[in-house]
Amino acid sequence: MSEPEAPQRAEGLLEQIADTALDDDYYVVRAGDYAQSREFNTPLTGLVLAAFAVLVMMAAVQTRNDRPATERERSTLISDVAARKKLQANREATADRLRKQVADLSASVDRFDPAYQDVRVETGDLAVSGPGITIVASPSTQDNLDGSITDHDLQILVNGLWYAGAEAVAINGQRIGNLTGIHFANDAINVNYTDIAPPYRVVAIGPSDTLMQRFEDNPAGHYWAALQKDAAVQFGMTPSSELSVPAVPKKRMTIRHATAIKGEE
Amino acid sequence: MIPVIGLAIGIAAGLIFEPTVPTDLQPYLPIAIVAALDAVIGALRALGERRFNDRVFVVSFISNVVIAAFMVYLGDQLGVGSQLSTGVVVVLGIRIFANAAAIRRRIFHA
Repeated sequence: MSEPEAPQRAEGLLEQIADTALDDDYYVVRAGDYAQSREFNTPLTGLVLAAFAVLVMMAAVQTRNDRPATERERSTLISDVAARKKLQANREATADRLRKQVADLSASVDRFDPAYQDVRVETGDLAVSGPGITIVASPSTQDNLDGSITDHDLQILVNGLWYAGAEAVAINGQRIGNLTGIHFANDAINVNYTDIAPPYRVVAIGPSDTLMQRFEDNPAGHYWAALQKDAAVQFGMTPSSELSVPAVPKKRMTIRHATAIKGEE
Repeated sequence: MIPVIGLAIGIAAGLIFEPTVPTDLQPYLPIAIVAALDAVIGALRALGERRFNDRVFVVSFISNVVIAAFMVYLGDQLGVGSQLSTGVVVVLGIRIFANAAAIRRRIFHA
């Protein structure tokens, strides 16, 4: 037999692997018991090939058996995702519906709750209209010192109107609200921090038939009658079936410090 | 004839008994099969070159399978199981292709 070919040494690792792909042992001729066993057709070879076949089949069978489980898991996940998407859509629809409901309800509360509406009217948050009286007062045209109208006179007038049964009062278009003050500043009378000038046109919403009478009969009426008589202040009252007063300006409706006591609502 | 019979018996046994791999050994089965395939292709090449030796075949088969499985096991223990598997597959793949190319050259002279 010729000398066995020695595998050549290659430079690179991968080249070396490729060049020595066949195990070196195949090139070595051994003496002894196994020297002649160059026969392929031996039981040992058969046994090894049988083991190889079993290995391959084992892996193949296992992979094939595992596939349905994997498929099942996948389809379960897919249906899970679909179900959750549906659930999410449902919940979004529910949220939309509820949001709409909330908007509707709050709108209807604003519009239709009579108690809330009354409170807003009382506090001057809403412009109101109705029957009432209009009072026009202006200072005396004669040259007398006491013929002017002071903030105090107007306070007495408004108090008298409340006392007479007025439900909403405005002076020269300035609604008298909870926080409204009538006072003298900057050479003018100031209502809701807005200067007003004579003639003072006071609009009071209330029972127009009794309002005038009750005002004239109460101390404020007497006070103004005296002013009219003694200081020649011009004063006129006219009942009307349809009057309107504006709302209090928003900046005079802002509550910054007061909070409702729990249990008092 | 005997090797062909052995192969047939192995396939039949695998199909009939459907032996399951123990869960602990499952990660090593694919790499062991690649190693075994390398030994078988090498044997086919040796057969073509008239160098076949059944003893070398048996030893290379068993050692290939055991070493490949052991390397994957070691890699798993060291936390580099997938990298080491890739390395083993690359080396064995190169050997398989080189041997297959040698067989092809011998049969087709191309």
